[in-house]
Amino acid sequence: MTKLLEYLKKPGVQILLLIGFLTVISAGVWGFYQTQTSPEQPILFPHNIHVNFQIPCLYCHPGALRQASAGLPTEQKCWACHGQLKKYYQPPVPVEQWPPELQKLANYVKNSQPINWVPVYQVPDFVHFNHRPHIAASLNCETCHGDMSKKTVATVEETVNMGWCLKCHRAKTENNLQNNPNNDPAITTQLSEKRTKLLDCGTCHY
Amino acid sequence: MAKHNIPEVKADLENTTGIWGMAIDQDLCTGCQACVAACAMENNIAFVGETDAGYGRSLHWLRIEHAFEGEFPEVQTSGFQPVLCQQCGNAPCEPVCPVFASVHSQAQDLNLQVYNRCVGTRYCANNCPYVARVFNMRDYDRPEPLSNQLNPDVTVRRRGIMEKCTFCIQRIHKVEDQAKSEGREVLDGEMQPACAQACPADAIIFGRLDDPESRVSKLAKTGRGSQLFEDLGTLPRVTYLKEEKDYGRLG
Repeated sequence: MTKLLEYLKKPGVQILLLIGFLTVISAGVWGFYQTQTSPEQPILFPHNIHVNFQIPCLYCHPGALRQASAGLPTEQKCWACHGQLKKYYQPPVPVEQWPPELQKLANYVKNSQPINWVPVYQVPDFVHFNHRPHIAASLNCETCHGDMSKKTVATVEETVNMGWCLKCHRAKTENNLQNNPNNDPAITTQLSEKRTKLLDCGTCHY
Repeated sequence: MAKHNIPEVKADLENTTGIWGMAIDQDLCTGCQACVAACAMENNIAFVGETDAGYGRSLHWLRIEHAFEGEFPEVQTSGFQPVLCQQCGNAPCEPVCPVFASVHSQAQDLNLQVYNRCVGTRYCANNCPYVARVFNMRDYDRPEPLSNQLNPDVTVRRRGIMEKCTFCIQRIHKVEDQAKSEGREVLDGEMQPACAQACPADAIIFGRLDDPESRVSKLAKTGRGSQLFEDLGTLPRVTYLKEEKDYGRLG
């Protein structure tokens, strides 16, 4: 034991220990950053242009209304509009003179290859997220995904973890003035039932 | 055996009927194991292989129990009994978990296993009187074509965690979600777990116990019903239906 303490007092050993400690910490930070950063996409899709054309989110991500996954558009869906844009077809402009990202899209369509979009908001395998009830609870897309009229490629806006989910689930089901302004007993029971359901482990983990 | 009565623990549990329940008709069960296969397919249960099965590490959320009585020439079979997690109202597996991985769902009244919490102490399995919990000993590999049949609605469990029958909670959520989006209640018989769906003899009936008009609660109330280890006071949600007499058994 004393030998070990003597050994630890050497400055070289201390520096090595410090380096090891910092390596572990930075690896952890890097790992966490990797889960919260936005991945590289095959096409740098400009969300802001499309949203500013008043195209609803549900046109390209229609699954959000009905099912668990919001869905990502196929190259055919993109081409439904881009195959007939006035700007490039009246008079026709050769594909080589299109912007580079649109040239990529035209290539995908020509080769009838699927675009391998990379999902940005990801949850682990043991979490089962469902878009439908969130949209049905009249949440807006931008509550979680940020204001897409100001973004190009989708990025992660929130730290997506269980605390973040539960923060909202708690706030929406609390029996307070905001959720139950007139202290109606019917709404109180409704809220407590909802709370049991929304804070239950089995709602997301199975 | 005397019925365990700890008033402060039991008082509020005794009168609860539970939400989801199952009735298994042992007179109809032919022991064909279709439910076992369906369960494994639906819930991404790994195939452990010969060696590990020999060590008793088989992963089955549902198994068919089959007992023999008597000496060799005059052997009588006892009939078949599918045994799965009984989703006890007062579950012995729940209070013993040191990390709260086996918790009781208040919303669905099921025994849950939270896979990402589980650290694999196996205390819950040792405390389960029905031996319904199985421990995942290894990361069993699924060669290429097998990996294509994984159910995306169910977690693919890794090694070192406990798993058990969930009453196909992913299907419960799907059915409830569907009913809610159509603005109605869940219909009786709409929700079917994989085992009930696969049963060719319709021996497994699933439904709501809190609805007295549902098929399962009507069946559970007939005189034929009994529960496994009723005297332990675990309040199982699975009822086994059987006549006194054995029908169609080899005698």
